[in-house]
Amino acid sequence: MNQHSEEPTVRPHTFDGIQEFDQHLPNWWLNTLYGAITFSIIFWFAYQIARVVPSDGAQVDTAMAQIAAARMTSTFDVTNDAKFWEMSRNAVFVDAGRTTFNSLCATCHTVNLTGAVGPNLKDHLWLHGGTPKEIFQTVTKGVPVKGMPTWGPVLGTKKTAEVVAYVLSYHTPGEPIEVQTSYVPSAPVPPGN
Amino acid sequence: MPDLKNIVSFPKPPAPRAAAPAPLRHVPIRDSVTTINEDGSRYFLHPADAPGRFLFWRRLSGWALILLYFLLPWVPVNGYPAVFLDIAHRRFHLFGWTLAAQDMWLLFFLVTGVGFSLFFVTALLGRIWCGWACPQTVFLEHVYRRIERVLEGDALQRRTLDAAPWTSGKIFRRGFKHAIYFLASLAITHLFLAYFVSIPDLWGFMHNAPGEHWTAFAFVFLAAAVLYFNFAWFREQLCIVICPYGRLQSALTDEHSLVIGYDEKRGEPRGKLGTVGAGACVACNRCVQVCPTGIDIRHGLQMECIGCAACIDACDEVMARVKRPTGLIRYDSLAGLTGGATRWLRPRTIVYGILLLIGASVATFAFSTVKPATFTVFRMGGAAYFVDRDSVRNQFLVRVLNKRADTATFTMAIEDAQAGVKHSGFDAPVAVAAMAEQMAPLVLVVDRKHYTGPFMFKVHVRDESGRYSVTREVEFLGPDPDLLKEEDREHGVSR
Repeated sequence: MNQHSEEPTVRPHTFDGIQEFDQHLPNWWLNTLYGAITFSIIFWFAYQIARVVPSDGAQVDTAMAQIAAARMTSTFDVTNDAKFWEMSRNAVFVDAGRTTFNSLCATCHTVNLTGAVGPNLKDHLWLHGGTPKEIFQTVTKGVPVKGMPTWGPVLGTKKTAEVVAYVLSYHTPGEPIEVQTSYVPSAPVPPGN
Repeated sequence: MPDLKNIVSFPKPPAPRAAAPAPLRHVPIRDSVTTINEDGSRYFLHPADAPGRFLFWRRLSGWALILLYFLLPWVPVNGYPAVFLDIAHRRFHLFGWTLAAQDMWLLFFLVTGVGFSLFFVTALLGRIWCGWACPQTVFLEHVYRRIERVLEGDALQRRTLDAAPWTSGKIFRRGFKHAIYFLASLAITHLFLAYFVSIPDLWGFMHNAPGEHWTAFAFVFLAAAVLYFNFAWFREQLCIVICPYGRLQSALTDEHSLVIGYDEKRGEPRGKLGTVGAGACVACNRCVQVCPTGIDIRHGLQMECIGCAACIDACDEVMARVKRPTGLIRYDSLAGLTGGATRWLRPRTIVYGILLLIGASVATFAFSTVKPATFTVFRMGGAAYFVDRDSVRNQFLVRVLNKRADTATFTMAIEDAQAGVKHSGFDAPVAVAAMAEQMAPLVLVVDRKHYTGPFMFKVHVRDESGRYSVTREVEFLGPDPDLLKEEDREHGVSR
């Protein structure tokens, strides 16, 4: 262990009357610098040369694949009409759907589903298709020109499916479906009406 | 020699080292850091014990602070811990207040408040924070150094152990000390993790396998390792080299700020007891031996000084023993130490004080505007408005966020809407669970007959207990009414 000598050495130069000590930096401090340099070389080698660590793009792809897989296992086949009818007879799904319906959908479709701003959901007349998978699509994507919001991103697949199951609980499989594509509620009143 | 290292230049005492005996292997000088050897290696300090009144009060306040750190995440206020920064749910509980991510703007007042307080306190009392309240000092002085003192003895015994060869006995003693150090670091880390994870969750984490919460586990383990390194080896290097707060404080003091200093007029020239013409300083070097940053306070105010007052206790003890008045080293301003008077009231303290008062008032006002709930009105996706056969329609989503610990029921009313406006949605009160958010659609319809163009209306949301009541102005959008009239004329409709 070297002790400090009487006074630290002074560098020979003088700038603007200012002199500079010639003192050793703390070794621990220098080690953080050397450590950072070593780490950057290892990091660069692992990422760019050896590719031991997957590239950022590959990591994003892996993560996205994981999300997609998780989504697939947590959802179900929304094109399967029979599945929706099954759900519509299950009290758990229907109750959950009723809660969501009453808090969000009833504003326009009323709690009795008889319709006000939005159309009646109890009768056999449908504007955008009356099969379960068509109803699911209508709720998910909405009908923005008429004011039906796109509920899919807000509710998510599960809650949307529950709402559809709740609506279907007022219907029976195989009942007549009349699609009224000509009915446009926002159109101006035709002449002579 | 130019004085490069110290901000406050202080006249050097005459013949500083020549007259002093050299019982230390390391003699502090003003121009080099004592704890860094000439070759850059570390000189590990072993400060001697310095019992005295300041040590007593410092130990008392240190334990009080440790108790406070420990209690804050445990003591419930309004149903939540006094301090619980629930980052996972973006809810910040502070002494009964609950702040959501939306209240982040208050952080500005917190940061500026801390800044202004620092300005004021430092100008007035110098580095009082460093010696008395900084967690680095509190844990180092009152936990880690105490462990070292109990296990390895006083400064002389510790230095002897340092120099001793590595026998199995030394390996065991050192290993045991470091094991205790690491346990202490783990305890402190868990203590601070409890500020961010609720105590029941933390307890759950501790009883599960590390793999189940491996991020929390890795965080705790790494943080404990950093604390262990800091308190076992790094110590005063943090204050001297890393801490920006200490450096900042050096720029905020002046000759009237309270510092710890040596009364040169009384002390010099130093001399052993009985020396003719000598000052009060008996050159015993006790002040140097007890210094946790390895400086000689008699060289004047130095950047390394954390204001711990150990040298005051050491010097007072010696002065009492040689029957001289105590206070040769004392809390005083540089002006006071050179025989002048300390001016507490001066432009710097007045300006900093006014800034602090302004900051505190604005922060108080800002915090008083924080409500226990919040609501926002969004226009629903899709078209901005819908024109029907008979009416014009706007659709909104009202989001209500309840920031309290219990369920609250909210009601909504439309105010100042023009005649003929009907609304549906949010008719019944909406119950929002604690810390939850609830959406409710709101549809406004105006008959074409009454429609006279876009207008402003107000949405008023209040909770049933009356603790929250806020009104927001929203615009009802629609086409030019003349266009609707023209359309009606084309179709021959009269309203």
